Amino acid sequence: MSHEATEEPSGVILNGTEIGFEDGELLIEACERNGVHIPRFCHHSRMEPVGMCRMCLVEVDTGRGPALQPSCMITCSAGMSVETESPATKKAQDGVLEFLLINHPLDCPVCDKGGECPLQDNAYAYGPGESRFVEEKRHYTKPIAISETVFLDRERCILCDLCTRFASDVAGDALIQFQGRGAQTEINTFPDHPFASYFSGNTVQICPVGALTAKPYRFKARPWDLDEVESTSVIDSVGSRIAVQSSHDVVLRYQGIDADAVNWGWLSDKERFSFEAFNSDERIAEPMLRSGGELTEATWSTALAAAADALRGVDPERVGVIGGARLTNEAQYAWTKLFKGAIGTDNVDAQLGDGLTPDLLFGYPRATIDEACTPGGTIILLGPDPREDLGALFLRLRHAVVNDGARLIELTPLTTGLSSLAAARLHPHPGETSLVARALVDGASGDVAGVSRGAIDAARRAIEGPVTIIAGRANLAEHASLTAATVAELMRLDGARVLSAVRRGNIHGALDMGMSPGWLPGRQRLIGHSLGSGWPKVPTVAGLDSAGILAEAAAGRIDVLVLLGADPLADVPDAALARKGVSGADKIIAVDTFVTDSVSQADIVLAAAGPCEREGTFTNLEGRISVVAQKVNPRGTSRSDWEIAVELAAALGIDLEIESLDDIWAELSSAVELYDGLDLEKLAQHQREGIMLRPTPESTDVFTPVDTPRNDAYSLRLIVTRVMYDRGSIVSRCPSGATNPSSPAVRVNPYEFEQLGAVDGERFTLTSTAGKMSAPLMGDVSVPRGAVAVVFAQPELDVRSLIDHTAAVVDVRIERA
Amino acid sequence: MGYLNGFRVTFNKMFEDRVTTEYPEEKQEKPDRLHGRHVLNRYEDGMEKCIGCELCAAVCPAKCIYVRGKDNPPDDPVSPGERFGFVYEINYLRCIHCDLCVEACPTEAITESKLFEFSFSNRSDAIYTRDELIVDDDGRPQQMPWEDWRPPPDWA
Repeated sequence: MSHEATEEPSGVILNGTEIGFEDGELLIEACERNGVHIPRFCHHSRMEPVGMCRMCLVEVDTGRGPALQPSCMITCSAGMSVETESPATKKAQDGVLEFLLINHPLDCPVCDKGGECPLQDNAYAYGPGESRFVEEKRHYTKPIAISETVFLDRERCILCDLCTRFASDVAGDALIQFQGRGAQTEINTFPDHPFASYFSGNTVQICPVGALTAKPYRFKARPWDLDEVESTSVIDSVGSRIAVQSSHDVVLRYQGIDADAVNWGWLSDKERFSFEAFNSDERIAEPMLRSGGELTEATWSTALAAAADALRGVDPERVGVIGGARLTNEAQYAWTKLFKGAIGTDNVDAQLGDGLTPDLLFGYPRATIDEACTPGGTIILLGPDPREDLGALFLRLRHAVVNDGARLIELTPLTTGLSSLAAARLHPHPGETSLVARALVDGASGDVAGVSRGAIDAARRAIEGPVTIIAGRANLAEHASLTAATVAELMRLDGARVLSAVRRGNIHGALDMGMSPGWLPGRQRLIGHSLGSGWPKVPTVAGLDSAGILAEAAAGRIDVLVLLGADPLADVPDAALARKGVSGADKIIAVDTFVTDSVSQADIVLAAAGPCEREGTFTNLEGRISVVAQKVNPRGTSRSDWEIAVELAAALGIDLEIESLDDIWAELSSAVELYDGLDLEKLAQHQREGIMLRPTPESTDVFTPVDTPRNDAYSLRLIVTRVMYDRGSIVSRCPSGATNPSSPAVRVNPYEFEQLGAVDGERFTLTSTAGKMSAPLMGDVSVPRGAVAVVFAQPELDVRSLIDHTAAVVDVRIERA
Repeated sequence: MGYLNGFRVTFNKMFEDRVTTEYPEEKQEKPDRLHGRHVLNRYEDGMEKCIGCELCAAVCPAKCIYVRGKDNPPDDPVSPGERFGFVYEINYLRCIHCDLCVEACPTEAITESKLFEFSFSNRSDAIYTRDELIVDDDGRPQQMPWEDWRPPPDWA
């Protein structure tokens, strides 16, 4: 070895040119960054390298002579010399592909991956071009259904370990694994354990061959006849970036897009397959009017005239608007302008009694997902279970805890999908979470709300670094003010920030656009707003929230109830309130995409366009605005929600001065500080990561929780949580979602289960002050003593009859049916 | 006497072989490489050869082919394998009979016969669907009223 006096290179010599690298960067990624693509199958930038496929072999010389090494397993080091075009590298690539193709069937014409297949592409670009293998290939039954949605074709599998790594490392559902040895190695599920993961669709997306296919797209189209547009998923409030792909004006597939700040390319199956609902025949294609007790199709002009007639001359106090989370930001602005600015009612609420007060979300500093996932930070999870409600957020949090050393403290009524990873798990007695929160900040002198002092002390010790509080409604049977009080306690921690986990669609956009009593667009209060002359009739007194509107309607004091994509009959936790409210309203105008329970009660139904049928923007739970793109034409004569608002206004003789989305943004950016300088063009430039809104939070009022009564010895306290697949209006219309039912049982701690002398599945009657229900009972260790857990919105299990929206908590008595 | 030169030409031609035929009463042998109306073929056991792979539609320069695939019903498969051509349409107002679809087909499902005598007066008649294209047990596709099958075309 010669030691020359010339200076040592500080970078990597890539094909004779020196390139820089970052500390710990993998060779394959450094090469990619410098314009040299190394073929690969098993490498994924969001997962740990395994070096399974050997496709990325390159000649690497670190001073001991050149040797073939997998570039996805090697971190760059100074002076490393890499040859990606050398004869040895070429021969290795040739050989690897020839080996991979030995057993890979050549059924590309019937394979869904054909046309977008990395194996096809690499075989063309780097392969030998001809096979020397004349023997019979390996055969398996094809395809086998490994879940209701995902099909596995083992013949096509090249054992790259992507799906198995995703399932075990990213999603934490290690349900598919390698089995067998040598030439008989295959990927499969375990006997009697289907691949029932909420995230199974991601494995289909990352599979580099056609081994995993998903039913909704199976044989629907070929890659070359798909058109694609980048958009935002509007199904939950994470706002994952997606590619919407369609063929012949039908949306056929959503693919996750790697937005570094949001979803990293992952989607939950609920988001991924939600397009199915909007392709279904149950869509409202035309406006409808009630005549003779039946909803019948009408023209837009007659429907709008009927809606205008209903609203004309009505006392604004007797008008209520519920819903708006389905809408884009622009549509929310238009509807708020119509009702708050022009008609003059403040009875507008986008939340259905299952959200959090905007005072909480606007009053405290908010965290982004990245800030919540900061390495070394602490996440305090107040619920709901992100795995059930906000799938893409769950994957980010899980990664932060598993890989980045973030600590998770659970302060939830029940165990969640993250419990096994939590540094501390505190499951206080329902209704007393804020006491534990106070003890978490100030220290405990004894057991608090069923949580031992030792557990609280351990949790206190775990708090370190920046603190993020993930706040949403963990328990739908608990009053929202209790959550607010808990957050207020925890905010006393140094530098704490809130990441909202309010779940429904564009709810954060709706709150920012003033679809909440007491608020106006741009997080402004009713008095002293900057909106100008286009808003002549803004009320000065805060109106009613949705529970208030429904209660007034039940008392016969609401003349017109407007449902903007809301289904109170299914979604308001208090069933009696919703039922009485909807039947008590004099006229109901519904703007929706499906005939939900509530829409079937409406007098006037206006057909709204679906998520891929309209343009606009979406605000996610961080306050990040990103673009929602139109891909297909609206169903029937359905229209964008903002157009409906403008036309309804016109039918009322009101000019909203809106003719396009640009008009809305011109108004917003000039009149509202929050949107200063924003327009669609700027948003389009930042379409991948979106634009974060970061207003200075105002000081917050003290949240006074509703008093929690003492638990009497005979009853159990109700915990109502959600699961990903429920009877929601979208997910219940997706055939892929309908196959994931959860158990329709009421769960109690085995201690109480035994005390009741029950056998599994025996029916019991549950009685609260609000109502009764009968359901099978099950013992479950994850339910704390003194509590009873029920899942919301499940078939054959309507827990809503037990819930009273005014009560702090719901106490339930369980008796033999 | 220049016009007599004209008569001379006519007179001389009377003794040469005639190159025109009495079409359509009398028909000529078609050239070997004539491309005409398509047929969708079957295997000998009656299974359809088309697997709905859409390669023909992808390669078509006139964009006149529309194909949609579907899962083969397991108990009553239409074609061998997992997938069959569920929808198959050719729009003959657009087709330029370039034969690229035949070259692209991996299973020789689509072939072109030499039948070129079909004209329609309705645009919807120009769209031949799977029902019209697929051959029956005798190896013949469905005859449309506006198609002239004299002499019987060679469908194979």
